[in-house]
Amino acid sequence: MTQGQQSIPRIDVRDLCVRFGSVDAVRGIDLQAHAGRATALLGRNGAGKSTTMRVLAGVIPPTSGDVLVDGIDVRRDPLAVKRTIGYCPDVGGLVPRATPWEHLQLAARLRRLDGWEDRAHDLLERFDLGAAAHRVTAGFSHGMGRRMSVILACFHRPSVLLLDEPFDGVDPVGVEATLEVIADARARGACVLVSTHLRDLAMQACETALVLRGGSTVASLSAAELVGEEGAVAYRALLD
Amino acid sequence: MPTGLSWTELDRSVDDLRAVLRFRGASLEARSRRRLRVGAGVVLALTLAAIVVPAYLRGALHEEHVGQFLPILPSLYLGFLFLTILTASASGGGRELVPRDQAVAFPVSTTTDHFGALLMAPLNVAWLMQAWALLGLTAYVLGPAHLWASMLPVLVWLALATALAQVAGWLLEWVRRGPHGIWIARGITAAFFLLLAALILTHELTDVLDRSPTVRILLAAAWGAGGSWWSLARFLLEAVLATAVVVVLGAVPARWALHRTQREELRLESGVQPARNNPGSDLVAMLRVDRAAIWRSVPLRRGLVVLAFMPGLVAFSGHLEWRMIVILPGLVVSGGALLFGVNTWCLDGRGALWRDSLPASPNLAFISRVVVLYEVLLFSAGLTILLAALRAGTPTADEVVALVCATVVVAAQVVRASMTWSVRRPFAVDLRSARATPAPPVVMVGYSARLALSTTVTGMVFSGLALLGDWRFTVLLALTMLLWSSYRLARTATAWTNPQVRSRIVAVVAS
Repeated sequence: MTQGQQSIPRIDVRDLCVRFGSVDAVRGIDLQAHAGRATALLGRNGAGKSTTMRVLAGVIPPTSGDVLVDGIDVRRDPLAVKRTIGYCPDVGGLVPRATPWEHLQLAARLRRLDGWEDRAHDLLERFDLGAAAHRVTAGFSHGMGRRMSVILACFHRPSVLLLDEPFDGVDPVGVEATLEVIADARARGACVLVSTHLRDLAMQACETALVLRGGSTVASLSAAELVGEEGAVAYRALLD
Repeated sequence: MPTGLSWTELDRSVDDLRAVLRFRGASLEARSRRRLRVGAGVVLALTLAAIVVPAYLRGALHEEHVGQFLPILPSLYLGFLFLTILTASASGGGRELVPRDQAVAFPVSTTTDHFGALLMAPLNVAWLMQAWALLGLTAYVLGPAHLWASMLPVLVWLALATALAQVAGWLLEWVRRGPHGIWIARGITAAFFLLLAALILTHELTDVLDRSPTVRILLAAAWGAGGSWWSLARFLLEAVLATAVVVVLGAVPARWALHRTQREELRLESGVQPARNNPGSDLVAMLRVDRAAIWRSVPLRRGLVVLAFMPGLVAFSGHLEWRMIVILPGLVVSGGALLFGVNTWCLDGRGALWRDSLPASPNLAFISRVVVLYEVLLFSAGLTILLAALRAGTPTADEVVALVCATVVVAAQVVRASMTWSVRRPFAVDLRSARATPAPPVVMVGYSARLALSTTVTGMVFSGLALLGDWRFTVLLALTMLLWSSYRLARTATAWTNPQVRSRIVAVVAS
């Protein structure tokens, strides 16, 4: 990947606003994320992280503002955006009475993937879900569900990978596998956006971080500025 | 097994029940509260009408049907008990006042759960319609003299039968959750229906029904109408006491059942589903996931089995004529839609967000739901017709045309209504437990009443057309009604493709 390609933002959000009835979930967020890089979205509950991720995934239309994903306007062509991205939602993310394999079959069919089975098997093993591949997901623990959602987001090698709370309730094996997925995606030039409450893990996975508060951006920092005790203090100060 | 049933616990459970009811009431918006008040008023008005109108209609009709209804009333009282037992058993003991996943954070006892299930039992259009039928027929048979007194034994019977059914429902659920419980429960059910079939085929059913203890209810109602106050009072005292005892004792099997693991649900969740070949088209891929969501859900499986066999067995045992069978598909498809169709997006549960992020046209997801809904409804209606046909003789060509047209039209009506409600009013529901419903119980009553009314009227119209002797009228009307339903369905599909509307539905369902 050339320097020029890396400088073009894969995600370009300008003045994004999302309103649900009388509630402003997102109030003027600006965000640029680039190919081959991982960016963290940090903030307290209700900061607007998940809503922003849902807009980028084409699931929620923006109320106002410009949102381009891989150069495609989310409002104009959400279907094309959905072909581009891989999305791990913050809640659930799995159809309760379908098996992981059935989820993968559906996603592979709709994404026109051929010969995906080996990679699917490999990912299921890496995330320690191989033995549960043909069990319905309603019986999964929270952590298993999160791991499976990450697999579904990454298995078609999307150019934009959106992971919303991928580490939430996940055991060390799952965390390690998720960090590997993020590193792989970056290595092949994908743009990765990780929304999480877990600052330490976010800093392990990402180079930059955007801190949101009350639906607005309050800071854009490098990972180095948020690492360790000093990083914790700096981050805490941004939350209030 | 310790029951732990004490006056203190009963007292506390009643207090908890009040708190849970307040909790449910607090979550209602002003509009919903208004609807609830109007709905309660309508139910009360219809109940009064069901009592008063037939009582005074008797004179106008010159009492011509009194002799016809009088001997079957005790059997109908017994039938009410049978159908309420069936409802309680199919719904895993009874409906939940608060879904288990929401109630888990609160110390809600099994006794409170039992009382809640009892309160919810009448919130079911089948219960209400049967209750109105019993009250109306008794009023018609006994006439307007001392009407209030003749209705009291029937009202007490409705309460006693509901309490008894609840006990039977909990006991069957206790068996079902025990070792080999699923097979034992199936065996009990099969044995019961075999016995029923044997009684029908040997023409012994009438003799058995004539010896039904529910004859006492009719006698008590007659004492009321005739002014035999002492006899009536003694019956009422006994019946009320029996109801109170059954209500209280029902807490024991409720505790037994609810303290056991949900074996059937766990079996489905932990079992291995063999992988199938990759789907050949986008629609097939969607359909597979939707069908899995239906056939791997305990309440839907149970509901579909009951729905597929029960109306057919009733028609079989009742020896219905073809003109009456034409009305049956309407009732069956209404019941089918109430299993999941009225909130069809809830099949995705928390996977709705992921599913909507897949690169597929929203129309495809809509078509997939419409197809699975049609499949389920037509399958159930077909099985009912098949069972009913066994003893109905050879139909005329007009009756066959009317039956086919009625089935297709009511299915289209119900699919249209279900999809419209699913888009307008989604609910976050996990159809995991056998006790779950796709929408809150009060909402379900409204949906079921509207579906039952429209499909019954449609069935009656087609039943009437079969008498005209010209099948072309029937086909013409069916085509017109199908076009109208298709037009309304297309409008709902357009609403679903709107990203704002879809995002609201997905957010609610996945929450």
